[in-house]
Amino acid sequence: MDAALFASALGALTPILFAALAGALCQRAGVFNISLEGTMLVGCFAGVAGSWYGGSVWVGVLAAALAGTAYSLVLAVGTITFRGDAVVLGVAVNLLAVGLTSFLVQTVFGTRGTFSDPALAGLDPLTVPGLSEVPFLGEVLSGHSALVYLSWLAVPVLAVFLGRHPWGLRLRGVGERPEAAASLGVPVDRYRYGAILAAGALCGLAGAQLALGNVTLFSENMTAGRGWIAVVAVLLGRALPYGVLAAAVLFGLAEAAGFRLQGLGLPQQATDAAPYVVTLVALFVFSARRTVKRST
Amino acid sequence: MTQPSPDQPPAVSLRGIVKRFGDVLANDHVDLTVAAGEIHALMGENGAGKSTLMSILYGLLRPDAGTIELAGREVSFDSPARAIAAGVGMVQQGFALFDSMSVVDNVVYGAEPTRRGLLDRRAATAAVRELIERHELRLRPGDRAGDLPVGSRQQVEILKLLYRQARVLVLDEPTAVLTPAEADRLFVVLRELAADGRTVLLVTHKLHEVTAVGEAVTVLRDGRVTMTAPTRGLDQGRLAAAMTGREVDLDRVYPPGRPGAEALTVRNLTVRRGDRRVLDDVSLTVRAGEIVGVAGVAGNGQTELVAAIAGLLPADGTVRLGERDVHALGVRERRAAGLAHVPEDRGEVGAAPTARLADNLAVGFHRRPPLLRRGLLRPEAVRDHAERIVTRFGVRAPGVSAPMRTLSGGNQQKAILGRELAQEAPVLVVEQPTRGVDIGAVVGIHTELVAYRDAGHAILLVSAELSEVLGLSDRVLVMYEGRVVAEFAKDEADAEAIGLAMAGVTAP
Amino acid sequence: MRGLRTTALAVLAAALLGAVLLAATGANPLVAFESIVVGAFGPDGLPDTLAYAVPVAGMATALAIPLRAGLVNLGGEGQLVLGAISAVAVGLQVPGVLGIVAALLAGVLAGALYAAFAAVCETALGVPLLVSTLLLSYPAVSLAAYLVRFPMRDPGSSLPQSEQLPPDVHLPALADTGLTAGLFLVLAAVVVYAVVDARTPAGFEARVTGWGPRFAQYAGIDRPRLTVRLLACSGGLAGLVGAVVVLGFPYRFIDGALITPQYTWIGLLAALLAAASPLGTLLAALFFAALTSGGFALERATQVPRELTAVLQAVLIIFLAAATGLLRGRKGAA
Repeated sequence: MDAALFASALGALTPILFAALAGALCQRAGVFNISLEGTMLVGCFAGVAGSWYGGSVWVGVLAAALAGTAYSLVLAVGTITFRGDAVVLGVAVNLLAVGLTSFLVQTVFGTRGTFSDPALAGLDPLTVPGLSEVPFLGEVLSGHSALVYLSWLAVPVLAVFLGRHPWGLRLRGVGERPEAAASLGVPVDRYRYGAILAAGALCGLAGAQLALGNVTLFSENMTAGRGWIAVVAVLLGRALPYGVLAAAVLFGLAEAAGFRLQGLGLPQQATDAAPYVVTLVALFVFSARRTVKRST
Repeated sequence: MTQPSPDQPPAVSLRGIVKRFGDVLANDHVDLTVAAGEIHALMGENGAGKSTLMSILYGLLRPDAGTIELAGREVSFDSPARAIAAGVGMVQQGFALFDSMSVVDNVVYGAEPTRRGLLDRRAATAAVRELIERHELRLRPGDRAGDLPVGSRQQVEILKLLYRQARVLVLDEPTAVLTPAEADRLFVVLRELAADGRTVLLVTHKLHEVTAVGEAVTVLRDGRVTMTAPTRGLDQGRLAAAMTGREVDLDRVYPPGRPGAEALTVRNLTVRRGDRRVLDDVSLTVRAGEIVGVAGVAGNGQTELVAAIAGLLPADGTVRLGERDVHALGVRERRAAGLAHVPEDRGEVGAAPTARLADNLAVGFHRRPPLLRRGLLRPEAVRDHAERIVTRFGVRAPGVSAPMRTLSGGNQQKAILGRELAQEAPVLVVEQPTRGVDIGAVVGIHTELVAYRDAGHAILLVSAELSEVLGLSDRVLVMYEGRVVAEFAKDEADAEAIGLAMAGVTAP
Repeated sequence: MRGLRTTALAVLAAALLGAVLLAATGANPLVAFESIVVGAFGPDGLPDTLAYAVPVAGMATALAIPLRAGLVNLGGEGQLVLGAISAVAVGLQVPGVLGIVAALLAGVLAGALYAAFAAVCETALGVPLLVSTLLLSYPAVSLAAYLVRFPMRDPGSSLPQSEQLPPDVHLPALADTGLTAGLFLVLAAVVVYAVVDARTPAGFEARVTGWGPRFAQYAGIDRPRLTVRLLACSGGLAGLVGAVVVLGFPYRFIDGALITPQYTWIGLLAALLAAASPLGTLLAALFFAALTSGGFALERATQVPRELTAVLQAVLIIFLAAATGLLRGRKGAA
């Protein structure tokens, strides 16, 4: 496979990686967050709107992160303050995002379905000095948007936070045994709020990369299941930052392979289905191995 | 031991504490005074309000009325964080450890030493090691909490309080899961802490512990204090009466049964978990008309034994019901072959708390007449069936359509026991039949079990209550680390020998 | 009583928020609400409401079946689409009235087998059902999208859609309402579910499993077998709904036509909010269907985009979920 293919795969997996890290953070705090998809979609819209009206792509990125945070407040209040069911609320939050963004595209941009404009500022590729000269690797790793590099950085940061920061330790305790954490004076609800809101910001960034990095437009329901893939990546990576990274890379490779096969005459629909099939197979393999280990 | 002096204010003084949950008055103007350096026992049946009172002291609950004073200063806690800061620490029943974390992380959790913003594990380890050495505990700072035996987990809990420099230590039923030897070891630690000037509040329902370690005792019944007294020269009968409102003979021994043919035969039963044999080559026989008791500290394979017999857990070895080998069969087939089972976990395994009582009692009867006719369940038959069990076993319930959880613990247990006894299965396996059951209901459950035995059924009784095993059983087996390590006939079973066997010490 | 009051409060709060949103877009909220209600239940609107309610109620019931045992089927979309495409494929081959029956059966079978496969993924291969159903959903949708773009494409059209079914493979229409006999098929499925749930040992065992998996295991219920059976029923009904939709106007499979109206997700929410009780699920589905078709009327009457009713619907669900959580929390504390 050629370098351009890998490079595009890296760009494609960034939204999934951001969202999966968001999901992992929530999972470790004991919140099953399936609203990644909808929150990401809100991020897409806010990113495009911010970039359009702010005149700068960075206003867009900031708007996406803030909108994601604000939007995730719905889930946080619903599940934590009102003790609503996380699955019901997650599905409803996803539905709301689809309706809300379609509605806003019409009221804000005055069009139905898709908004794009040549004047809409997107994220520029960054050339990494030195790295870009290395053959193959340079082509694969250099020339991505700043958000792509930020997503790579987010993995070790989350790992250190969970493993070595006092808040990370407390957060893990909150997820593992909330009543035990509460009995030691750790405010469980506050940590869960924090996790959900931070996850909202990460999903917002995922949306910004999707709408301003991978493409430069907003279209209805443009997340197209990426948030669900992220949910799966959290499960596959067992909510460990590096595990989640590995899962996201697996999806990226599947997608790249799909593109490749498309070049060989396979229909696009096969490519669309590839990440899900690959995930399922990966899950078979992992659980099969676990079963074997248990029985010996 | 420290004597309360008139000029020194008590370490803990609760006055007029009232706490209401809905229509239930959990604490009704409770007063409790504990001197500094005193070990004070708090007794009462389940639901008497002990845990509520201690949760209020620890800031987990807020009282509706009343005041809390610590060393003469009035305090008010809206969270455990405040209570901890004021020097109160609590070890909850069933422990509150994070299994995936190390001993160190568990101890410092919520009060971590930091260096440059990050957790300073070196300083934390040093601090924990120092505490372990000072109090002569047998712990290693780096061990994973989930891998530790219960006795050590208990010590980690105490370490958490010491690390937070608690002056008032509350322990809720700390010996429920300990061997007699481990419990003695715990008492030594508690006495040292008291001698050090710390105050210990011990919540317990074991009478002998009160006299063994406590200096004073307060008894609660129905949310009210019924007795406060020093333990020196205290009459146990008076204590029991204060708890139950009447005299109860807890150590009653029932007449022996008349064993007949083999009803349950277990041979070389083994359950593996990872590399460990949690049930290790266990063989036993229970005859019709016989109760075989299994004694042992919780976590020594009894749960796995019962689960493997019931078909809930895959196991090597053979299980026979009468003449029939049921080893290859699933739960449903084993039940059909004549096995009834009262599990240890009432809330999750034995019943569905949110479902109606009638539905809970229909389980196991729902695939045959009279509940089923022409392929359909008859609602009136389901109700009648439930009414019959409720009447026969004296279950007190608002009605058979009420959700199971609206029943008290003892009545839930009676309902489950009634359902299983109504199966009239030749073999009954009962696990912890009276755990969490009010003392008043215990005698009723024991009488039912003995009557069932005398009707010619076989009973395998697993219990952590030694007095229960001794009183009911025709033979007693003792389990330790997954094996049956000792067997006693009814007349040769005595508490001391069994206690030693439970700790792994068997006579050669 | 308190449950009713809390639910009413949630609906009221959602309506209030909706009024604010409507006012923000420049519409008169009272007029807007009136046009929603008239649009949903008026003589012109009611047939539309029912036409939309058929697939929503069908999917809601389909997803309620496993939910009764605490099993969440997130793959309704795939089962629905697979049922629809299979029905069309068979309906195009088998002529006559037999074609209707064969097409419906094909839809049921395709959905049932596919959902059962997702169940086997959990019971035999250790992939959680939530994940296996969800993951399998997308390839099914992609497969149908591929089929109507290439092998099954209508040569006379540039759109990704199948050929039209011959007239004798159309479900009988009910007068001029846009409704078909599919209404009765879905209604029958709801009744069967209600009876099985309340009065048969199998339904009882599903409920026992829903009360607690460990209680069910203790009671001797074979969970893997139950899972596969419930999922087969769930997927079968989803497949039937797909078949019913394509055997009605415009009598063909159009890519995306079963996804865009959100039948599956709204159905799932109806089932979740009603805790999978048969009657409650039906009522919740009808309510959401009314709201959606009222939204179309609103758009016609006031220029307010119909997406706003999708927003209102989601807001209402969030409020209801929060309200039920509040009720549960109170009960738990007592």
